[in-house]
Amino acid sequence: MEMRVKVGIVSCSGEERPEGTVCRMACRRLLEQTTDKTVTICLPLFIAGGREERTFASKYPTITVDGCEKRCAARATETLSAKPRMTLLIPEILRKRGLAVPRTRRNYGPEEEPVIRAVIEELAGAVDEVLAKA
Amino acid sequence: MSGFIEITYDKFIFRVNKDCLYSKEGFWAHIEGRTATVGVADFKQKTMGDVAFLQTVDPGTVVRQGAPAGVIETIKTTSDILSPVSGRVTEINPNMQDSPHLINQDPHGAGWIYRIELADPKADAQGLLEAEAYCEIMKEHLSREAGKKNG
Amino acid sequence: MDKTGKVVILPCSGIGKPTGALAREIAYELAERARPEKTAMTCLPLLVIGDTDALKLVRENPVITIDGCALECARKSLEAAGAKPALTCQSVKFFLAHKELKPEGVAQLNEAGRKLAGLAADELAATVDRLANGEDA
Repeated sequence: MEMRVKVGIVSCSGEERPEGTVCRMACRRLLEQTTDKTVTICLPLFIAGGREERTFASKYPTITVDGCEKRCAARATETLSAKPRMTLLIPEILRKRGLAVPRTRRNYGPEEEPVIRAVIEELAGAVDEVLAKA
Repeated sequence: MSGFIEITYDKFIFRVNKDCLYSKEGFWAHIEGRTATVGVADFKQKTMGDVAFLQTVDPGTVVRQGAPAGVIETIKTTSDILSPVSGRVTEINPNMQDSPHLINQDPHGAGWIYRIELADPKADAQGLLEAEAYCEIMKEHLSREAGKKNG
Repeated sequence: MDKTGKVVILPCSGIGKPTGALAREIAYELAERARPEKTAMTCLPLLVIGDTDALKLVRENPVITIDGCALECARKSLEAAGAKPALTCQSVKFFLAHKELKPEGVAQLNEAGRKLAGLAADELAATVDRLANGEDA
């Protein structure tokens, strides 16, 4: 069945750190706004052997978003499927924008919103860039 | 079993069993002589979400094609199991009580819901779709969903 | 933070479904409110990329996995890392026990989901206590 090219977004699940929550929230919110351009790739399912996630990632472009330098999403995607077209890192995005990492891992509200928006903007730009070259 | 047709959309792979007949409501029946096994189609189980709870009629109950034979509850929704065939229910999958998620994990295998002694297999078959025809219904539904998203 | 002698809470954090968000929230409720002194967390993908500290943590301490669905990604990833969970659970089971609290939202759980996570954490706290005492789950 023919489908428009979409970009798979692989977000780190980063349970241990606030950057992981930032990553997850920003990715999920962008995905909900851009269902015509993007597809959720669930990282836990991807690494546990999810056939659909891995098949999609091998055929279509992906962007990974990681919360820390360990870059789990980028490394897992490259190892288990194919090299992502772009890899984003939350600390780099926040540094570039002069924003601090939130202090908590949950219950985000207006205080954390500028951080989430910054990541969404970067990710949205990355999606358009990847689609333009696809 | 003679195999599956696979339809890919986005990252989802929907499997349709060539040996089954399907209702438009998304339930399959695997007919062998005068008995049938009934379950939920892969497309339906993926769209309705993870099954949390399932309730069926008791063995011995007579059901009509298209009429409720139970209820499936997921996080997203509660919906009727509309029997794809008519007859007397003979057996409920004993695993459904504790493991209704089998419907999601293995909708055409371990996730079968009930077995039924058929009243009129020929009449029932006329109200059902073969695998290829069901695939077309599925594709229409997916195209409509894509049309909504793309605006 | 010293993580030795703690019960490790490992949620799947699946991003596709509210039950993944629920699993994550239950883990935070346990680790931050119900039993902060007895629990530790690590990131699930670290196990898969072979992070030494994460692997040591789950291999040397009892682990509770909290999965968002029957695919059980947290349990499977833990076992692939060479560790066995002391307890496995699925967040949807807590919804079944408290149907009036329907979890919604993936990016952020709704209020009902957060309440449900709190109740789930309170139920799991007893298991954490047993495991922390060296008993079986």
